[in-house]
Amino acid sequence: MAPSTQFEVSQPPTDVVGTVVFAPNSNKLLVPSWDKSVYLYEVGDSAEDAKLVNSYEYRAPILDACFGADDNEAFTAGLDREVTRIDLSTGEKTTLSKHSEPVRCVVYSPEHRLLISASWDGTLHIHNLAAPDQSPVTVALPGKPHAMAASPSKLVVAMTARLVHIYDLPSIATALSNSSSEAAAASIQPWQQRESSLKFLTRAVACMPNDAGYATSSIEGRVAVEWFEDTAESQARKYAFKCHRQTAPEEEGGGDIVYPVNALTFHPVYGTFASGGGDGTVALWDAEAKRRMRQYQKFPDSVAALGFSRDGKYLAICVCAGFETGMENYDGKGKTKLFLRELGETEAKGKGAK
Amino acid sequence: MGKKKRGHPDVEELLARPWCYYCERDFEDLKLLISHQKAKHFKCDRCGKRLNTAGGLSVHMNQVHKETLDKVENALPNRQGLEIEIFGMEGVPEEIVQQHNQRIVTNFYTAQAERHAATGNPPPGHSGGQGPAKKIKIETPDEIKRRLAEHRAKVAAQKAAAANGGAVGIPTDGQSPGQVVSPFPPPQPGFPYPAPAAGAPPFAAGQPFPPAFPAGPSPPPGAATAFNLPARPPSGAPPSALPQRPPYFYNGSGAPPPGFSGTSSTVDELVAGASRQGDDIDQLIRMAEAGIKPAKPAAPAEETGEKKSKKDKEKNTRMVYGDTEISPEEKLALLPSYKLVEV
Ligand SMILES: [Zn+2]
Ligand SMILES: [Zn+2]
Repeated sequence: MAPSTQFEVSQPPTDVVGTVVFAPNSNKLLVPSWDKSVYLYEVGDSAEDAKLVNSYEYRAPILDACFGADDNEAFTAGLDREVTRIDLSTGEKTTLSKHSEPVRCVVYSPEHRLLISASWDGTLHIHNLAAPDQSPVTVALPGKPHAMAASPSKLVVAMTARLVHIYDLPSIATALSNSSSEAAAASIQPWQQRESSLKFLTRAVACMPNDAGYATSSIEGRVAVEWFEDTAESQARKYAFKCHRQTAPEEEGGGDIVYPVNALTFHPVYGTFASGGGDGTVALWDAEAKRRMRQYQKFPDSVAALGFSRDGKYLAICVCAGFETGMENYDGKGKTKLFLRELGETEAKGKGAK
Repeated sequence: MGKKKRGHPDVEELLARPWCYYCERDFEDLKLLISHQKAKHFKCDRCGKRLNTAGGLSVHMNQVHKETLDKVENALPNRQGLEIEIFGMEGVPEEIVQQHNQRIVTNFYTAQAERHAATGNPPPGHSGGQGPAKKIKIETPDEIKRRLAEHRAKVAAQKAAAANGGAVGIPTDGQSPGQVVSPFPPPQPGFPYPAPAAGAPPFAAGQPFPPAFPAGPSPPPGAATAFNLPARPPSGAPPSALPQRPPYFYNGSGAPPPGFSGTSSTVDELVAGASRQGDDIDQLIRMAEAGIKPAKPAAPAEETGEKKSKKDKEKNTRMVYGDTEISPEEKLALLPSYKLVEV
């Protein structure tokens, strides 16, 4: 078994990061930051060989980013309420739409050529990239979105008040191609409306690569795994468990310190998933066998974002100053670090449910 | 140890055997114990290297694989902690030694009484009777049936208790996904616990991992035979074979009953008494031997130590970020440093 290796990437973003995402066809890594820049790194033959290849300046903090149809196309969600397309080779930016409040998340569905943005204005903007001239369709949400993720056929939006809406992407694509924006907007309804399986504010959502279900995490050191299929049997499989907690020192009264679980990401090959928490740890979980496979060496600060490369060989880990209740004096500047872990061949391979 | 006169080791012999803190297994000699610990408890699952102690393995995992060792592998649920440094018999906390010894003594006398009960001979005291002590109890079909019926009744009772929401004796620790009730006050007045959707199965989300095995303090059916383990073979057995444990009978009290009389306690009574104990070490051992993992698949590292005030600790839980409606990002967005400069 080849030992895995882990390196800190030089020239990290200089402020809070909420997302790290690998390109669809290469080991390019996109990292948007609250320092009003989006960073593009490239990993060479090993985790040690990762370097910054470009950075793109914006006028406002960037809360989220995703790749588009190829490794040169990306989309960003800005605190300036804009959804932007950027050509990573030229740096050329195009505003796709403007929300009335900051944009929290962007998700691209390559299967359906849809770009979906979610904003604190309580709407989704759905852009049909197959028809660039078409204006985006606005879908009203019952709450403010906090996290969003797409599987090949589903879009999961986690909102305030523990609301979770699941949309069927093929249906949306059909609605967009067959009708006017207004008619499409009226016809787009959630495929399922669920209550969060967790009692507290959702921090992250990640979808299983096999399109079967998703995981959510909350501020209360807990992760839930559930399945899309709306049968009693599938729903009976869902479960939740505690994680990212620490025992408080006795002199502080003991008990548990419960950290938010900020990041979730599924391994693209094995279907296992990683969670990252405010406790500065990353754990690998076997969703089928319901067990923790690994816990990595503690990182110097709160784990803010996680992303596997498309082949599953690398795990990018971004750590930032942790979020605490009462953040008036929060300062994340200069505290962001980016790590790259090269996984051993079977490091993220689950043992299955048996 | 020399040739024994009797088929059963005496209690001093049993007490003198080296044993493993992590799994309570005992060994012929210290060397075997140490190699057991290296192979079973201190082996790196990444590269196979065997270290001498859990601390050594932890450092190795850290330095070589950049990973955190969070618990000792193959250890009993309440013995997985890294804070205790064990090497062979060194480092075992005194109260654990006492517990172990008491258990050995209890099991010894229980087993002895059981043998005497089977032979009909009165307990000979410590002088060692000349009766057919070597004879192993053979249950009549009626006895077996009765024991099975009792066992089933117990399981049924436990299931009923579990269905009523009673915590069953799954040895969980505080942070395993075993908490159904949130230790926190509701985040807002009337904040509802998510009600299972209509037609939803009793295991609603938000609850812990379902136990992988039927819950209950009684051993699984397959382990029931453990109550009737044959006695340890005489020491004439090949030395290469790993030493077997003496039979473990127990009455759950942790000590020989006062005025112990071999004929007054049937095995079934002992079994029944024992199975009322939720978290008995013998129970854990038996489950471990039967390959049954306690229902704590995600038990994090920090919670593996011994603890007695689990409940108290749960009440003490503190959330680092406690706002149930406003995300940290929304708060960040309000900070002056991120204010958008409109142009
Ligand atoms: Zn052992
Ligand atoms: Zn190793």
